[in-house]
Amino acid sequence: MEELILELKKEIIEVLNLEEITPEDIDTDAPLFGEGLGLDSIDALELMMLMQKNYGIKVDNSEKGKEIFKSIRVMAEFISNNRTK
Amino acid sequence: MNDKLVVTGMGIISGLGKGKEATVSALLAEKSAVGTIRYIQTMHNDIPVSEVPFSDSDMKQMLNIPEEQLITRTPLMGIVAAQEAIQQAKLTENKPKRIAFINGTTVGGMEKSEQFYIDFLENDSHSEYIAAHDCGAGTDDIADYFGIFNTTTTISTACSSAINALIIGANLIKAGKVDAAVVGGTECLSKFHLNGFNTLMILDRATCKPFSQNRAGLNLGEGAAYLVLEKADEAKQRGATALCELSGYANFCDAFHQTATSPNGQGPFLAMQGALQNAGLQPKDIDYISAHGTGTGNNDETESIAITRVFGEHTPDFSSTKAFTGHTTSAAGSVESVISILAMENNFVPANLNFAEKIENIDIQPNTKTKKKEMNHIMNNSFGFGGNDSSCIFSKIK
Amino acid sequence: MEIFIQSAAQISIQNPLCEDWFETPIIPTLPYNRSIEPDYKQFILPIASRRMGKLIKRAIATSLSALKQADIQELDAIITGTGLGCVENTEKFLSAMVKEGEEFLQPTFFMQSTHNTISSQVALFLKCNGYNCTYSHRGTSFESALSDAFIQLKLGKIKNALVGGQDEMTPDYFNMLGKIGYWKTEISPEILQTSNSNGSFAGECSAAITLGTEQKEQSLCKLHDVELLYKPSKERMQEVLQDMMTQANISSIDAVMLGISGDQKNDDIYKDFAETFFANKPICWYKNIFGESFTAPGFGVYTAATCLKKGIIPQHLRYNNIQEQELRTILVYNHFQNKDHSLILLSKC
Repeated sequence: MEELILELKKEIIEVLNLEEITPEDIDTDAPLFGEGLGLDSIDALELMMLMQKNYGIKVDNSEKGKEIFKSIRVMAEFISNNRTK
Repeated sequence: MNDKLVVTGMGIISGLGKGKEATVSALLAEKSAVGTIRYIQTMHNDIPVSEVPFSDSDMKQMLNIPEEQLITRTPLMGIVAAQEAIQQAKLTENKPKRIAFINGTTVGGMEKSEQFYIDFLENDSHSEYIAAHDCGAGTDDIADYFGIFNTTTTISTACSSAINALIIGANLIKAGKVDAAVVGGTECLSKFHLNGFNTLMILDRATCKPFSQNRAGLNLGEGAAYLVLEKADEAKQRGATALCELSGYANFCDAFHQTATSPNGQGPFLAMQGALQNAGLQPKDIDYISAHGTGTGNNDETESIAITRVFGEHTPDFSSTKAFTGHTTSAAGSVESVISILAMENNFVPANLNFAEKIENIDIQPNTKTKKKEMNHIMNNSFGFGGNDSSCIFSKIK
Repeated sequence: MEIFIQSAAQISIQNPLCEDWFETPIIPTLPYNRSIEPDYKQFILPIASRRMGKLIKRAIATSLSALKQADIQELDAIITGTGLGCVENTEKFLSAMVKEGEEFLQPTFFMQSTHNTISSQVALFLKCNGYNCTYSHRGTSFESALSDAFIQLKLGKIKNALVGGQDEMTPDYFNMLGKIGYWKTEISPEILQTSNSNGSFAGECSAAITLGTEQKEQSLCKLHDVELLYKPSKERMQEVLQDMMTQANISSIDAVMLGISGDQKNDDIYKDFAETFFANKPICWYKNIFGESFTAPGFGVYTAATCLKKGIIPQHLRYNNIQEQELRTILVYNHFQNKDHSLILLSKC
């Protein structure tokens, strides 16, 4: 799981172009949206695309997205339970 | 001296067909043009769109343009629509001294660039289309076809481009820079923006349902429409018939988010309120609003909130005609201006198709059936990406 | 009502956000040149700029600089001209779609690809609800934006405006335009001056100016008129020039700023214009140090305004050797492929 968490942090930094943020800066349990990293609805769409492209998980509505993207840990758990690649 | 600006010509082409008559017939028959993709090559052929029912060759034939002439779909549709407007306004028979052509477009020559992009980069087989890529290229193609213009420019404010073209044309006339202006927009469908909207997850997989609680996004459309603007006195002198008055307009920016409107619809609110002030009218004077009403969750809710903030108990009949034409993006502002002026001329309120139930926590709902009504003042809204929000008001000539 | 250019700022192939180009210009030696980037952190936090391409960052930096110089607190209008829009993001989306298919495209590149992203990101950054518009009309995009601001100031609809000319040139777009004759293979000041071959050299443009109706100490110059002309005849051009001067109550033009770029085909039009209407007048140019781009005329206005403020034209901006007696008025003339033409009349405050 820790490996997946690190991988996920790196992917998020890349896909969201979070300049100057390192994986260590991201709190695994902090909320990704609103406070925490302060991401918004477009970032959510990017994360949905990332889930589909890298893990073969299709998240097709934003309500479901909100639950999955609560924190990096929640996201990683969801991926390890549902990944198809 | 009568300083009023009037509309003396209109032309339109959309999924509903070519010309004003075809448009009115389809509106009265409540016949939507949204259907299966015919021309664009895409893996997303399950996404419904509204395409203009003519191929590029069909349009070249209509316009006596040689088949081999290099011209993309966006300006072709533009020429078809502009020709109708120019003829109605008698612009070539009795030419005003200085005429501006103000064109709205965003996609430009993208439908060719996306076909030949690899060639552009790797070989010379289609390099002739490189110069047709930018937005202004199509504007010049249209202007060259008619040869009557003295000033041209291109507006690109995404989905509000055409209404901003109208605003700029009106200001140019008021400032005495030109005597008449042909204003509007044209946009063909492209694989590029179909995919773009798809990544934003705002395309309905069925026909769009503006202002309905069960709405699930928009349908893209293509089309072009232009209006001829001039001063009332000038029109009279030239022997052109004034169809209606352009009585007010405003452009504001929501300045909230690149793709979403602010929760209280500030940009749309300012645009509608500004247009009323510019026209010297009160909310109760407006008989109909041709809403932007795309069918997305965010637009229809925030537009409803903004309408309520501006009009309150005087909220007039309103509808979105996007379930007829699809969202014609850069052309929407002029396509819907022409549609609403035709509605005023023919005394009917267009239907808002596919409405099922009103949006939760919103008190207003659109006009769902074609309704006979005499109207004196109508408002048209166009809101774009980046919070480019504009409204205008047309009034019956007294 | 009088209209003033209150301030200006640039990011280009010259040193950014300063006037080094006036005394110590960088002399371009290559057909393809990218802008010199300032440190954007002084303007935008990295987290806020995470989705912004280079062009947007440049637009925000030049806009903020110009607004600060002019000390404008409440801005009424943001108007941008851009010939090509956000090319970098358009290419990212287009290239992925064409090469990798339609399955995994990224929304960010699409939403940052539309031309009006520039004006709207500036508005978003400034929280400005005022008038907002974007022009994308080939080589007269900047002048279209300037004309819009000018007209609205004249009509009393606005009291001030931020006008920008913004264009980037990516390697792929440079190569594409090269295929249709835009660029020379080799350049030097002498090659540009003789202009006996077609094509010029590429620069990038981020020019922001502010306009207002009150003269201030820092005001650069007066803006008397902006005219956009489509395929004008010589007679029409003559008529417009005469009208402009009459209305501005100006009897003589002291210098003419032209878009000469070393591209023979286009330069011939400029030379014909100068000979017809301004024989024996000082002719100036600016593309020799800023390069060609769709909004390069923004630099034409910027350099002319700076010259009027300083009261002199530096030697490297002089195309001929004729000296003015006094520098009071400059006419900026630009054309794009002899179709779209623009005339801008400026005078010292």
